Amino acid sequence: MAVEETTVAVATAGMTVEMIKASQLGMRAIAAAMAVGLTGVAAAIAEYGIGSAAVGATAENKDVFGLVLLLTVIPETIVIFGLVVALLLLF
Amino acid sequence: MIELTGGPAPYIYVCTRLRVRKSMLLPREEYLRMLNMSLPEITRVIEETTYKPEIDELGNSFSGIDLIEVALSWNLAKEYQNILAITPGSLQKFTRGYLNRWDIQNVLTILRGKQQGIKAGKIKEVLIPAGTLDRKTLDSMLAEGSIDKIVESLKGHPLYPVLMKNYQEAVQEGSFAHMENELYKQFYAELIAQAESGIKGGNLFLDYIRLDIDIKNIKNLFRLRANAFKEDAGDMMIPGGSFSIDELSRLNTLESQGEFIDALKARIKRQSLLQTVLDELRSEHTSSQIEVRLTRVQLAQMERMSKLNPFSVHPILTYLEKKKYEVFNLRAIARGKESRLPAERISEYLVI
Repeated sequence: MAVEETTVAVATAGMTVEMIKASQLGMRAIAAAMAVGLTGVAAAIAEYGIGSAAVGATAENKDVFGLVLLLTVIPETIVIFGLVVALLLLF
Repeated sequence: MIELTGGPAPYIYVCTRLRVRKSMLLPREEYLRMLNMSLPEITRVIEETTYKPEIDELGNSFSGIDLIEVALSWNLAKEYQNILAITPGSLQKFTRGYLNRWDIQNVLTILRGKQQGIKAGKIKEVLIPAGTLDRKTLDSMLAEGSIDKIVESLKGHPLYPVLMKNYQEAVQEGSFAHMENELYKQFYAELIAQAESGIKGGNLFLDYIRLDIDIKNIKNLFRLRANAFKEDAGDMMIPGGSFSIDELSRLNTLESQGEFIDALKARIKRQSLLQTVLDELRSEHTSSQIEVRLTRVQLAQMERMSKLNPFSVHPILTYLEKKKYEVFNLRAIARGKESRLPAERISEYLVI
């Protein structure tokens, strides 16, 4: 019933059902790209500071390599969250 | 040389490196332990720390106190040159400017040593070639026969005009104190000009220099009062700090120590650390104790500034100062032990 009403409304606006479905898919794809892209940028911002400090600390004391490597990869989780959201959006 | 302008990452890298190095400096307990050791034991302890390469390298040529003195000087100079090599952009400019103070110290050490007839080898032990005058230049200065020739050999160096103007008078008076004042005035004026030249981070560098000048002036005032110097002290004070020269001269004319400390405290309301120490200095203290206490306050204040601005020139300068005092402390312990001074007496000279 609702679909029929929408079809009628869209038909009056000059759009077909196929066009609406394609538009929705496109919006989802943009949202998924933003989820991965923005979290990627956020992770990069977080990592450049941690990475610089990690390299500095390792240059002085090689024993801290394992610890600083762990700290450096922690912001990667932000990208993983973004990826999960993107996958949920797409499938 | 690293010349990076790509954001704060190089600052973070260098500041972290120096923070790690600072954490590896000798702790207070180690100094206290050393106070109860003999000179060979102290040498062995020093050899187990970052001074090992220098002790090993110089072990064949020197021994005892001479070995410690030369190894400490070499290590300090090497460390400073190393820091210059890893600092980027404007941080390097500021660091280099700050390290130029060693030129003044080296030149004055050579002039004083020569005037007192000390052997070139002995003078060389305490020189720290961390400024613009490298080891080779300092060696050639040491090889010169007279003070005239030493000053002449510096022709073209920024120190030369001040030296030329003052050294004759200094030699006649038998004291380089006035000349030293003039050299430091020029040094700080150059640093302030550099900080105000619009380079990135200049304001933070200026804060640091102001603190340095203030503490130096306060130390000078305490020293003048200890010697009952009642004439105009304006000429001996370094301009550029938070106190004006007139203010400092006026402070020196105050009669009682309590009045002097109250006036100082009223002027530095925002610096709680200094306020506390000034209160402690009301009771009788020797000049050296007062200076050591003020130096501790300066270092604590520098430490605080470096925490407030973790990726600036502050952590670098704080490390330079702390490293310098580590070397001073080790030298004081070694010299004190050599002279058979009691541990309590040596500890009074330690900045810990």
